[in-house]
Amino acid sequence: MKNRLRVLRAEREWSQADLADRLEVSRQSVNAIETGKYDPSLPLAFRIARLFETSIEAIFTDEM
Amino acid sequence: MKERKPVMGCLPKNSAVRRFVFRVVASVSANIVLTIFVASCFDEFHPHGPLAYLLAALPAVAILGFIVALGLFLVEEKDEFQRNMFIQTLLCGIGGTLVFMEVWGSLETYMHIRHFPMTWTFTLFWIFCGISAPLLLRRYR
Repeated sequence: MKNRLRVLRAEREWSQADLADRLEVSRQSVNAIETGKYDPSLPLAFRIARLFETSIEAIFTDEM
Repeated sequence: MKERKPVMGCLPKNSAVRRFVFRVVASVSANIVLTIFVASCFDEFHPHGPLAYLLAALPAVAILGFIVALGLFLVEEKDEFQRNMFIQTLLCGIGGTLVFMEVWGSLETYMHIRHFPMTWTFTLFWIFCGISAPLLLRRYR
C-alpha cells in the first residue's frame, strides 16, 4: 500500500521522531509505514488521518 | 515521548517493554535456578515416584511464567508495529526450535548421534529468537 506520509510530514517539517511522538508509536513504526513495508491497522490509519486533518484515502492508496 | 527501541533489539524505553523484560528476566532466572536445583536433587537424592515427577515439573513452572509474560506484553504494548515484530520474532524462535528438535530427533533415532538434552529446549528457543530478531529488524530499515 502506498502512502503520502513522508510528504505530509515534510510539509510540517516534522522528523520521524516528531510524528512518532504525536502518534504515540515508535520511530521504527513510522519508518516502516512510510516506506510501505508495514500497513497500519484501521485504528492507527484513523489516528494518522486525524493528526493530518484529512481522510484516510487522502493518505493511503491501495496501489502497489 | 522518547524514541523507543525495537522490542528485542536493545534496552527497553517504554513501560510495557520494561515490564516485559523484568518479567522475562525473573522467569528465566527462576528457570535457571530451578533447573540447577532439580539437577542437584536428582544427583544427590535420586528421588523416584511422584516426588520425581514433581521435581521434574518445577522448571516448567518458570516457563509458564514466561508464557504469561508474553501474553501480558501483547496486551500492554500499544504500538502495533512492535507487537507485530515481537510476534514474528517469537514465531521464528518457535519454528527454529521445532525444526532443530525434529532434525536432531531424526538423527538421534536413525543415525544414533549424540543425545540432545530436552531441558535445553527453552535455551534453544531463546537462541533462535536472538538470531532472528536483528534479521527481522533489517527488513524494516
